[in-house]
Amino acid sequence: MTTARFSRRNFLAGLGAVGAATALGGCVTSTGSSAGGGSATGPVTVQSNLSAPSAKAAMQALIDAFNKKGGSQASLNTVASETFRTQLPTYLTSSNPPDVMTWYAGSVARSYADKGLLLDVSDVWNGATGYSDALKQLSTDSGKQIFVPTSYYFWGLFYRKSNFAKWGVQEPTSWADFLQVCETIKSKGVTPIGLGADNSTPWVASGWFDYLNIRINGANYHRELLAGKHSFADPQVHKVFDQWKTALPHFDPKGTALSFQDATTNLLQGRTGMMLIGTFLLDTTPKEDVDDIGFFRFPVVDPSVPLAEEAPTDGFFASSHTKRTQQTLDFLKYLTTVEAQEAYLKSSSGSSLPANPAAKDAGTALITKGKEMLNKAADLTQFFNRDSSDALQPTADAALIRFIQHPEQIDSILTDWQTAAKKVWNS
Amino acid sequence: MTATLTAPAVAPPSAAGPRRRRRTLSPTLLAFVLVPLLVETLWVFWPALQGVYLSFTSWDGVSPAVMVGFGNYAELFSDPTFGRAFLDTVLWLVLFGGLSALGGLGMALLLLKDRRGVGFYRAALFTPVVFSLVATALIWQAIYQPDGLVNTILGALGLDSWQHSWLSDANTALYAVIVPALWRQIGYIMVLYLAGLKGIDPTLYEAATVDGASRWQQFTKITLPQLSSVNSVVLSVIIIDSLRSFDVVWALTRGGPYHSSELLSTYMYSTAFQSLRLGYASALAVVIFVLAFGVILTYLVRAFRDADA
Repeated sequence: MTTARFSRRNFLAGLGAVGAATALGGCVTSTGSSAGGGSATGPVTVQSNLSAPSAKAAMQALIDAFNKKGGSQASLNTVASETFRTQLPTYLTSSNPPDVMTWYAGSVARSYADKGLLLDVSDVWNGATGYSDALKQLSTDSGKQIFVPTSYYFWGLFYRKSNFAKWGVQEPTSWADFLQVCETIKSKGVTPIGLGADNSTPWVASGWFDYLNIRINGANYHRELLAGKHSFADPQVHKVFDQWKTALPHFDPKGTALSFQDATTNLLQGRTGMMLIGTFLLDTTPKEDVDDIGFFRFPVVDPSVPLAEEAPTDGFFASSHTKRTQQTLDFLKYLTTVEAQEAYLKSSSGSSLPANPAAKDAGTALITKGKEMLNKAADLTQFFNRDSSDALQPTADAALIRFIQHPEQIDSILTDWQTAAKKVWNS
Repeated sequence: MTATLTAPAVAPPSAAGPRRRRRTLSPTLLAFVLVPLLVETLWVFWPALQGVYLSFTSWDGVSPAVMVGFGNYAELFSDPTFGRAFLDTVLWLVLFGGLSALGGLGMALLLLKDRRGVGFYRAALFTPVVFSLVATALIWQAIYQPDGLVNTILGALGLDSWQHSWLSDANTALYAVIVPALWRQIGYIMVLYLAGLKGIDPTLYEAATVDGASRWQQFTKITLPQLSSVNSVVLSVIIIDSLRSFDVVWALTRGGPYHSSELLSTYMYSTAFQSLRLGYASALAVVIFVLAFGVILTYLVRAFRDADA
């Protein structure tokens, strides 16, 4: 029996290897604090997740303009956004990381800063003029700035102006008006509320949760809830879903089977009346339809709650392991300039607002209206994942999609959500 | 995981034998053994052992890992999603495995005889195997769309009440994903069985016909026993393919809606790369490895026993 002897030998060898692995196992989880290769010279490496063709070209144009100035140099590396998201912790912890990375402001950036992975960019902020205090606050972690915002956008209920005119409905402001508008649209044989929350873009459903929560419980409660200071099984959260239930019959029953791109097509072709979404909807809207797109502010539920709005902020942060600190700061400083932000908006689809208030936005009626809405807002939130963490988002996706399909199970949905969220907060 | 699974087959019992040679090994021979072993160690054994190590830690990919002992394994028992994923994996094994074996055998029997055009049908059934599963998933995603082929056909037949959002309904998602996986696997299993069937000595059938055996008797008394060696190959292929099924599920539903089509493999992936709980995900990986390895080991032991007999 040669085989028996061999398997035993393999087994013993394996046993030895297990021992060796536990001894050396620390390697895999070490956080790369030791100085690796990488030199202090060479261009600043910019890792970007803006992989849509127009956004990628706009980034390249920006880098080229920076390089032409003749000072520090930069080079762009664009990665598919899904890959970027999963690889970001690896980028940040590697000993030879990219110097600058695209990402989002808020808790999501602070969580990396708390682990000492982000470069202090207070220097950039000291040089930047005109940035609002709110943006500075958003980019600050324990007294120092760790994030450089370059643009932000807004969420709202988007619709086709020509269709609203045809159906004879006006933009509602209160929840009762909103339900009335839904009834009218339904009577015309059209699905009132579109949704595109299939398995590829389930997170768009979080827009509804965020807005209902900040309209009913306020922005502070919302942020605390996402930070784990309250339970998703609390009666306050229950109230959010009771409110949502009143609008649920007006939702597209196929909403959880469509991607948000398909849902956009339905809206543009008049199969649905309106849709809660961000301005990135315009990126996939054909040019000739853009002027027909309007939006209104998410309706007021409780007039006593100060009006907060979702204003997700995009921008850049830098790795604390960078060997090219000065060049990196130079590049980030350039990104805050009016020149850079206008150049970026011009070459991209222009659906966002520049973070530097002195820079001109696209200037369309829709963008101007959105800017006014944000300026009047009592508070700004980011979005579910940005106000919490990318790890908490899947727990929300599971809970919200289940609620949309089975609103009667809300009690067990909320306790399950709390259980899942707790694991993320504790890990 | 594929690579891990093939690992036990790498060290062949070449040198061991009754005739022991005292001659020293030639450097070439030594290189042939050591270089692959080194490569295997670096890319297969080492990462696999790191995975086992990680399963005893709590790690988010950023902060240093914290040892938690068997905490991750204890959590498995109280995790309803793990239970769901485990049961779904069993269901997947039974439905995907069972139906692909039956379907593959059926197709092989149907397409065994050389008739006109049989080559075309064989090629047609084998074509899905050539496609990448992700491409397959894209085709089926279009078919399952609310306005896709399935619902259009149901509508045309007047079965409007049967129309469904197949992939986003928790009651149908898992079955809707099994169909494209089967669509591909049946062709593969068919080829294995075709090869087995071709190897059966035709004189056995001639003798049986002379003895007056019916078609069914020929099938149960000759075909099936003759296929026993192919059956064990098919069995292990099916089990391994079931346990590592990931791409088609991930591309179609990502384990959703709300974990209703979650397999152990998709749950491992989302725990690791979406929830960033790499320790717990490693524990899941170890469970999958143990299940797969257990199957392979039983198969190998049986195969060696058969060979010795």
